[in-house]
Amino acid sequence: MKHHPYKTDLPVMLPFKPVETESFGSTIKLWYVVPILALILGTSAIAQSGSDIRLGALQTLMRWMPLLLQGFIFNVLISVMAMAIGTGLGAALGIGQLSLNRFVRSSSWLLTQFFRNAPWLVLLFFAMFLLPFEVNVFGIIIPLPDWVKATIGLALPVMANVSEIIRGAVLSLPSGQWEAAESLAYSRRQTLWLIILPQCLKRMLPPWMNLYAILTMATVLASIVGVSEVMTLTGEALAAEGGRPDLLAPFYAFVLLIFFVYCYPIARLTVRLERKFSVIN
Amino acid sequence: MQLNFVKRLAITAVITASTATAVYADVIDDIKERGVIRVGVKADYKPYGFRDTDGSIVGIEPELAKDVADMLGVDIEYIPVVSSNRMQFLEQGKVDLMIATMTDKPDRRKVVSIVDPNYYSSGTNILALESLGLKEWSDLKGKPVCGIQGAFYNKATSQNYGAKIVAFKGTAEAYAALKAGNCAAFVYDDSAIVAKTKDPEWAGYEMPLATIDDAPWGLAVQLGEDKFHAMMSGIIIAWHKSGRILDLETKWGVTNTPFAKTMNEK
Repeated sequence: MKHHPYKTDLPVMLPFKPVETESFGSTIKLWYVVPILALILGTSAIAQSGSDIRLGALQTLMRWMPLLLQGFIFNVLISVMAMAIGTGLGAALGIGQLSLNRFVRSSSWLLTQFFRNAPWLVLLFFAMFLLPFEVNVFGIIIPLPDWVKATIGLALPVMANVSEIIRGAVLSLPSGQWEAAESLAYSRRQTLWLIILPQCLKRMLPPWMNLYAILTMATVLASIVGVSEVMTLTGEALAAEGGRPDLLAPFYAFVLLIFFVYCYPIARLTVRLERKFSVIN
Repeated sequence: MQLNFVKRLAITAVITASTATAVYADVIDDIKERGVIRVGVKADYKPYGFRDTDGSIVGIEPELAKDVADMLGVDIEYIPVVSSNRMQFLEQGKVDLMIATMTDKPDRRKVVSIVDPNYYSSGTNILALESLGLKEWSDLKGKPVCGIQGAFYNKATSQNYGAKIVAFKGTAEAYAALKAGNCAAFVYDDSAIVAKTKDPEWAGYEMPLATIDDAPWGLAVQLGEDKFHAMMSGIIIAWHKSGRILDLETKWGVTNTPFAKTMNEK
């Protein structure tokens, strides 16, 4: 028999030791980037051996890198703004889903479900083609450039997902929290704001960050509607190089690489927070 | 010389503009008030409009657009467009002028105001392996042929000659597919294909067929902008007369096209 630190003949329950689950993300190491780098170098090496007259693929990529990185900053900007707008609206919608007022509750539910189950690209198209290119607010003309429209289009599904994250987090709290608060004469609003939501925050953080990483990767959809982000610029750079087939792989591999380098730390941090906040019920 | 040219343009345009009638919407005043003309150009169509490594848009059409801006004495803002949104941008008023490799078609004239005379022209041809021995367009029947999304000749190639069009987002993807043998030929503008056949990397490939659909390109303004239309018309005539188009072709490495030559002689 295994030797236990508690020496007793009585049938006692041993202290519960949570099983450390290794999620897939936590096993990924940063050196996984190596294959992608190898792909860029490998494909450009092949390209280089093919033609001696023109610049090699890697040198060509180096020339375009500043522009492509500028484009990527644009992706980050779109993702951050869409996340901010989506979180603000989604928070309101999520709390609306918990309202005691039947009308507020059902309309929040409907909005959430509608935008949560719509393809992101379709929402993007709607935002692009239904919003005007400038709006007139009391005589002041505010231009709505494409990337702003794309931001709004992407904020809609984010909003619906944040709404569900909030609803889920609130429902995941033991009902005893509500009952205890009630017994201490807290009003419903006070209970929600002072007791429930603060406890929910840390539960919501990992899925919220996950959503952000997914959103960032979805910003390339904006290239389909003509926003000058990294994917669009990559296509244009390839066209400017005269459509050389040998440049395709290194260029797109580079785009993969920058997204990986940006999203990977977010994934790592999410895993860490998940483990830290994991609740054993 | 550049200033001289612009001056000449200005005179021609003023004469034409003053003879124009029925002015109800005037975008020229808007442009001058704004101090900027917004021109829709291609950013993925070398050498007519493409990106430089610093991100700016350069090429034949951006230079033509710059002439217009200089003439009006305003700054220029290039707005990158693609085939699927260029007419819409013009309709919305997002761009004042569109010079974006657009083929002049009767149905397009209903949507935007295409300016006569045409400023350019190009035909359709294919790039294919010599070993395939293609002779006629009808040889393409049932074969997969690479094309670019939104190009009008895709439809013609598939309907008239029975080719199966595989449309790609950009030229790089299409060329790669051709090299990999995913399609028998690549249907594209003849001027671009001529350049490819001279490229050592494309040794063994040819432009075997007779050019079809030699279609003029039209630059366009919004419907109803008669004054601007008349002004642009004068500018295009001046471009042809002065040999500006021919100069730009040479500058950007295009063999002078028959269309540009004839228009220059006229």
